[in-house]
Amino acid sequence: MKTHERDLIVIGGGPAGLAAALAAREAGVPRVTVVERDHELGGILQQCIHDGFGNFLFRERLTGPEYAARFAGRIPEAGVETVLDAMALEVRPGPEHEVLVSGAESGLVTFRAPAVILAMGCRERTRAQLLIPGHRPAGVFTAGTVQRYVNIEGLRPGRRAVILGSGDIGLIMARRLTLEGVEVEGVYEIMPHPGGLTRNIVQCLDDYGIPLHLSTTITFIHGPKRVQGVTVARVDADRRPIPGTERHVDCDTVVISAGLIPENELSRGAGVALDPVTRGPVVDDRLETTVPGLFACGNVVHVHDLVDYVSMGGTIAGRGAAEYLAERAAGRTAAGGAGAAGEPVVAGEPGAVAEPGVVDAKREWCPVEPGENVAYVVPQRIDARRAAGRPQDRPVQFFLRVREPGRSADVTMTGRSPGGDVVLAHRRERAVRPPEMVAVKVRPDSLAPGVTAIRADVRAKGGDGDGR
Amino acid sequence: MATDPSRAADEALRLEVQADLDASPELSRYRLRAAVDDGVVTVVGEVETWDEVVAAGYLAAERRGVREVVNAIRAARVPPPVLEAAWPAPGPPLPGWVAQADVVVIGAGVIGAAIARELSRYRLTVVVLERSSDVACGASKANNGMVHPGIDPEPGSLKAILNVRGNALFEGVCRELDVPFTRDGFYGLTLTPEDAAILPLLKARGDVNGVPGVEVLDREELLRRVPGATPRATGAFFCPTAGMTSPYKLTLAYAENAVANGVRLFLETAVVGLDVEGGRVTGVRTNRGPIAARWVISAAGIYADRVSAMTGHQEFTIHPRRGALVIFDHQESGPAGASVGWFGLGMPKHSKGGGAMFTVDGNMEWGPDAEEVPDREDTAVTTEAVGQVVDKFSGLLPEFPRNAVIAAFAGLRAATYKEDFHIAPSRRAGGLIHVAGIQSPGLASAPAVAEMVLDLLRAEGILLIERDGWQPRRTEPPHVAGLPQGALAELVERDPAYGRIVCRCETVSEAEVRAAIRGLVPATTVDAVKRRTRAGMGRCQGGFCGPRVAAILAEELGRPTTAITKEGPGSWLFAGRTREGGLT
Repeated sequence: MKTHERDLIVIGGGPAGLAAALAAREAGVPRVTVVERDHELGGILQQCIHDGFGNFLFRERLTGPEYAARFAGRIPEAGVETVLDAMALEVRPGPEHEVLVSGAESGLVTFRAPAVILAMGCRERTRAQLLIPGHRPAGVFTAGTVQRYVNIEGLRPGRRAVILGSGDIGLIMARRLTLEGVEVEGVYEIMPHPGGLTRNIVQCLDDYGIPLHLSTTITFIHGPKRVQGVTVARVDADRRPIPGTERHVDCDTVVISAGLIPENELSRGAGVALDPVTRGPVVDDRLETTVPGLFACGNVVHVHDLVDYVSMGGTIAGRGAAEYLAERAAGRTAAGGAGAAGEPVVAGEPGAVAEPGVVDAKREWCPVEPGENVAYVVPQRIDARRAAGRPQDRPVQFFLRVREPGRSADVTMTGRSPGGDVVLAHRRERAVRPPEMVAVKVRPDSLAPGVTAIRADVRAKGGDGDGR
Repeated sequence: MATDPSRAADEALRLEVQADLDASPELSRYRLRAAVDDGVVTVVGEVETWDEVVAAGYLAAERRGVREVVNAIRAARVPPPVLEAAWPAPGPPLPGWVAQADVVVIGAGVIGAAIARELSRYRLTVVVLERSSDVACGASKANNGMVHPGIDPEPGSLKAILNVRGNALFEGVCRELDVPFTRDGFYGLTLTPEDAAILPLLKARGDVNGVPGVEVLDREELLRRVPGATPRATGAFFCPTAGMTSPYKLTLAYAENAVANGVRLFLETAVVGLDVEGGRVTGVRTNRGPIAARWVISAAGIYADRVSAMTGHQEFTIHPRRGALVIFDHQESGPAGASVGWFGLGMPKHSKGGGAMFTVDGNMEWGPDAEEVPDREDTAVTTEAVGQVVDKFSGLLPEFPRNAVIAAFAGLRAATYKEDFHIAPSRRAGGLIHVAGIQSPGLASAPAVAEMVLDLLRAEGILLIERDGWQPRRTEPPHVAGLPQGALAELVERDPAYGRIVCRCETVSEAEVRAAIRGLVPATTVDAVKRRTRAGMGRCQGGFCGPRVAAILAEELGRPTTAITKEGPGSWLFAGRTREGGLT
């Protein structure tokens, strides 16, 4: 079996992986290889033919394939090698990490590189995980699968559909199915507030007269061969169906849009510590995981709302990998030392990481903790000294999600330092909602006074933040 | 047909059963009537609920001398079954069709397939008819895979005899047919001192049944051996011979081996009638035309009583008993080991209560429960059933991560009211052998059931001459998952399609999917591919591989993708193509 030596392997050719590969090349990493399981680059964007991508990064409204092309088009000239139609089966950590790749053209090959970026994206929550009672007929699909059938395969999954969950893909598919002549009876959301972006509620449901039923869920799927209908019921504050509110809905298709889960089988196999809240790797300011030289970006780390943020993360990871390789080349990391793979740590104790591979001054992790009304913050820890030494145009990028919606919210990053608490960054958001990420930058110079811990708080004036 | 002395016995039995019905506090008000013919009790009348229908059936079965019960009672408050199979539409005879056979086997579940494989040793024309699009589509795909040790059945019952014998045969069968089988044993936990006190009696029953190596354990020994067991346990029994297999893989392997040895298997072919002349069966009528046959073996599972009724004289009733199973992510399941269940005097009368066991693929699996349902196709999973299963087994294994559920499904047990296997020649039509009432421990008993059916055929006068070149072995096609790297590299070298992974959760390659479709018992549906390859069984439940598997099926079968189904007619996946100009 062949083994190829590279400097950086990027697993996944979606928006995160492509941005990472380009950033690494721009930062001077010589041999960069992207492994992609589909027969073309772009990942899930290829099936997202609606527009609205790139608002933030390009100030344009691009379709998914157009957005992907902005990055994929630069791959050949940037000198990035691509291995398509190939699946990474295993990542074996070591002083030189090994990635086992299987593809029809490539055969079974091993790529060996000191740095690997995990950019596999995420998967959808399924009917089984929601434990929806009933038969198990044909006609129950996740929203992303329906999107692939309709937009890539040219197949119409049914005639009359209900959508369970108001996640963004479900909302987009409500519109898409309507345009394809599938009657969308309604969207049912178990929570009292919508799961997707406000703009999608307006543009995909309101504009097409598709009702959104909040605090309502499917309590039974009728079969047994093809979906014959569903029973829906309203739910109480504890999300339990309220007896007597059941209603039968005639349909032949159930589309499930109930959330995404970071895809981390490879990360887990590599011994990377995972955060139980994000279900992605614990990462630092350069998106390095707890295993030195293994980086992660995009929906592998946490599920993003906007692809622009995914690309930004890819760039951070690509630059981070370049920085790591440069440190290594300068002898500041011990290549080949025993235990260089690092020791997986328990998430939530980021301060306690031992990194035998690193021989420069003992690395002290500055933990980043969610404070008031914050569900999680990524990165979960930073090397404050390292980050403080970077140029001012490379701030530490934080992403967080709130627990509860609110209006005119103060987002504050507070640092603990020997001299007392310091505000590292502050911004005011007109509205915050759990489905929408909040991005906050912390300038390197603000970290200079020796910050040892960081806390993120979101204090809202109140209201439901549903700025429709 | 019955002689005078037996008519007198029938009348005596009728009086007893009628008296029982009239004396029942629950049922007497309905004035149900019993009739007895040749030891078979038929009960008629109308009650309110399905549970009362079932209760009457059991009551009628209680008296000594009752061979079987035909339950013709209607329930006023139960609407007629709406889900029950519309039989496959009439169609043309399939390729390889024969108008005449020595033996026709009805049903390709694990029992029908095991019998067919046994028959394939001999110079006979054997035909297996299956109404579904694949083998193992009834109880054989929806049971927990446990190969029971045989400690539960009443001593002397067919269940006891065939279970213990079948269990002993399992290793050899699975080795010959290349089917996964593990033998890690079963712990039955007691939760009260009273239940612990009767464990020695249970062991005695095991000894009588011939179950090897049964042990009675005290609490400390149990907790030492099963560290995750509840500290509330008061004791346990241990059966070292309990095992696990893949029920649908075993069925498929039996069927493939039978086909390799000349048996003809016709799928989507339903028996709609029997031809009986002069008290002897002469053939079957199907939706694809008639087949003349000298012997007919009914292994029709949940519909076995319907086949019996086709003789004009129904000999028993099957009542579906549903069981729900819950499957957990194998990454959360921990290292595989022995199965665990509950044992106690408060156990339901007609169920062993299921277990917490590891599938041969390493997933923890809990269940099944037991619930009587009126509709023979009602495999719905209910919130109550899943809740009961999860509560029960998290009571036995309190530390197990109960939230890591990846799937829940239900199957129907084909129970008779006598609750024993009914394996016997029909008393109404010569040449017809009923293999009915096969529920748990039917899987464990399957190899022994096949032996017994051959013995019955011999007794009926069939001439069995061994076929030259009978091939007992069948080989499982290669699977990428779990293959050592060197072997995988070789495989991909030989056929690059083994390198193209279509199911990322379970690491299934395109070549495996194609092999399943080209197999001796070809997969023609998405679910049939899933059972053979595991594509779609993982965490994403087919979200990623579904479109790819459908496309490969379409290509291999030469059909449009829109004609591909989940599990045969009626389970359509696509309503058609999108509008013109769609991306393809």
